[in-house]
Amino acid sequence: MATKMKSRWADDEEDAELEAQRKREKEEKKRAKAEKQRKLDEQAAQLRLQEEQAAAAATESPSNQRELSSRPSKRRRLSPESAVPQTDLPPAKLLRFPGVEWKRCRSVEDYEKLNDIEEGAYGWVSRAKDMTTGKVVALKRLKMENAQDGIPVTGIREIQTLMDCEHPNIVALQEVVVGEDTSKIENIFLVLDFLEHDLKTLLEDMSEPFLNSEIKTLLLQLTSGVNYLHNNWILHRDLKTSNLLLNNRGQLKIADFGMARYFGDPAPKMTQLVVTLWYRSPELLLGAEKYGTAVDMWSIGCIFGELLTKEPLLQGKNEVDELSKIFELCGIPTEEAWPGFKRLPNARSLKLPKNPATHGSVLRAKFPFLTSAGSSLLISLLALNPAKRPSAKEMLDHPFFAEDPKPKSTAMFPTFPSKAGQEKRRRRGTPNAPVRGAAPDINVVDFSGIFAGREDEEKGGGFSLKLI
Amino acid sequence: MSHLSNPLASAAQLFSRTSDNALPIELQDSIRFYTARLTQAAGILLRFPQDITAQANVLLHRYWLMDDLMQHEFSDVSAATIYLTAKMSASPRSLRSITNVYAYLLSPSSSLASDTDPKNDPSSYYLSESTYIARRNRLLHIEGQILAALGFNTHVALPHPLAITYLQTLDAFHGKGGKAVAQKTVQYLNTALLSPQMLYLTHQPCALATAAIYLASREAGVKMPENEWWEVFDTEREELGFLVVGMKSLEGIAQEARERYGGGAMISRDDIRQELRKMGLVPGGGPGSGDAVEDEEAEMARMLDAKVSA
Ligand SMILES: Nc1ncnc2c1ncn2[C@@H]1O[C@H](COP(=O)(O)OP(=O)(O)OP(=O)(O)O)[C@@H](O)[C@H]1O
Ligand SMILES: [Mg+2]
Repeated sequence: MATKMKSRWADDEEDAELEAQRKREKEEKKRAKAEKQRKLDEQAAQLRLQEEQAAAAATESPSNQRELSSRPSKRRRLSPESAVPQTDLPPAKLLRFPGVEWKRCRSVEDYEKLNDIEEGAYGWVSRAKDMTTGKVVALKRLKMENAQDGIPVTGIREIQTLMDCEHPNIVALQEVVVGEDTSKIENIFLVLDFLEHDLKTLLEDMSEPFLNSEIKTLLLQLTSGVNYLHNNWILHRDLKTSNLLLNNRGQLKIADFGMARYFGDPAPKMTQLVVTLWYRSPELLLGAEKYGTAVDMWSIGCIFGELLTKEPLLQGKNEVDELSKIFELCGIPTEEAWPGFKRLPNARSLKLPKNPATHGSVLRAKFPFLTSAGSSLLISLLALNPAKRPSAKEMLDHPFFAEDPKPKSTAMFPTFPSKAGQEKRRRRGTPNAPVRGAAPDINVVDFSGIFAGREDEEKGGGFSLKLI
Repeated sequence: MSHLSNPLASAAQLFSRTSDNALPIELQDSIRFYTARLTQAAGILLRFPQDITAQANVLLHRYWLMDDLMQHEFSDVSAATIYLTAKMSASPRSLRSITNVYAYLLSPSSSLASDTDPKNDPSSYYLSESTYIARRNRLLHIEGQILAALGFNTHVALPHPLAITYLQTLDAFHGKGGKAVAQKTVQYLNTALLSPQMLYLTHQPCALATAAIYLASREAGVKMPENEWWEVFDTEREELGFLVVGMKSLEGIAQEARERYGGGAMISRDDIRQELRKMGLVPGGGPGSGDAVEDEEAEMARMLDAKVSA
């Protein structure tokens, strides 16, 4: 498969053919969109008509509602039909709101299951087809842990956050459907746009990493999605390659909002038990209770590194090991570089060398092929001090994306065979997302155990971590 | 996405309340009023910030445009919406505290009962373990029903923060009566939540905020700009007029309810069935309003209990 992919890159004819096909598809989509709009307009007109008829009927025979009442009181002038929003007022300068409503959940039986995409311990995602429209979607079943508390709040939040979002780089939630037996709501499914790949599986199957131009396109999409989230006060809190979906048109969409949360300014106290270990920022590992958008930016840095090498950047075995891997790569935190870090709960239990042999980041050395703009971006994303990391907005304006090679247009993205579209996939490369429960308390015992061993080991490495 | 707007009830949803087999409107009104008032009282006892209680009542009204009013006991629907709303917020409460608070509010000792001077008798709201479990299961069952009926859309934008911003913009906080205007504004917004007219389902937060400010400033005698200032807040004159009338009307509704049901804390489905009989209507005439459904429900509750204790 790898060689086939390679040759595809060189094959101009095939490229041209593909290009032509994409054009056709685009045209087709345009037509479909126009048709959809026409239908919508028609429906809207229909609805208005019904509204008017309903209102007319109600005013014509007001006795309808009164017949049954024992006292047709004065209050009746407040008839509900006058509450119907007027549709024929001049729209003028006033803001109009979209007419969203709420609708009862449909049944999952309205979908035909095609194949499983992922079947985990409790997670379950499959490809399915809407039997009325024929549209292919992904069905994600909500995890029902702690059923004694009813429908899990994480699930409700995941749904609400997705419903609130509308952005090309965020997976669209079309609806929520439930099991056929509605007397008990136990089986709840998110109906999502289906995308052929997730980046994790894709990277595992590629023989060569993405090209720099492709990495830029992926990062730009990821970052504009994250920028949208942060602008809307949403932290994703679980950015990692397996939660980034890619379709065959080179479009990236952020998925898995199971950890997402609205945040305020100033930051509220939140659990540190978020973000899969390998993508978890040092402030979280050190137990910060107040944190913000910078935790997502750290994860983007980890993803950047992973895209460059196809390998997760910081594969710690546990919290302590993750921290020491971070310090190895990004340097030892100092009071000047990160004022106040020593006051973080878990920082008290670690003692850092006063005069380490190597001080700063070894990132530049680890990625020698990256331009200086590229490595400066990576280094800033992986700044130990969260305040030093760029915001998503700042990242989008970074010179790295302006210099050659330019980001590849998504239309020119290569296509890859899709596992999700066919057979069941097996994968458990990354540690699972953190389980909810008590916050991780990196306890002293934990530290001593691991750092005691590491101390000798790391002497030559230029720094050591010690327990007080 | 918008934090400032709400999904609104469709004309069809609103109209279905007046369909042939629906309850007489004034009985529907009493149910909506009493239940929303119960939620409000529970919110206070549970020490919720007002926004949670307000959101719970909006969800309650939305739900009742989807499912039959007589489907579940009203107080259970109130408790389930408040549990659900709190769960999603930063101040969740256990089912245990919620069922306790409701047991109290529904008891003869209830602070909600207005005409008697209730003696506090703890034994009147003591919940045995088995009663607790049965209630809990009922609430969890209704929670699922609510979410499914709403398509899991739990987004509620409230007018309260908007109103404060508007008042600041209007400079109405300063000078004499500024504080009074703010307080009255919030009162109007909270009272409107109890209104069976369901103003929060038919009007966007900006219009609700504007109407409340309009009423409050008039009442407090605070001068507002001469021009059509409400248009700055995306509210048209007609809508403002409608809301002003709507927000003023709750007193009449409350009065009428007291006359009909006495000063009790809450009404139940049995009260409604009795009213129907008085009106010469057969309870159980329409689907969902009858005893058949009630039996089905009781059956369900029993099944759930059995499942838990198994
Ligand atoms: N819309 C989709 N289209 C195609 N595949 C998807 C889609 N959503 C999810 N998947 C696949 O399912 C996997 C798991 O989805 P997701 O991360 O949303 O669920 P999860 O159970 O919360 O995951 P986890 O706990 O493993 O992080 C993804 O990594 C991806 O491979
Ligand atoms: Mg995931």
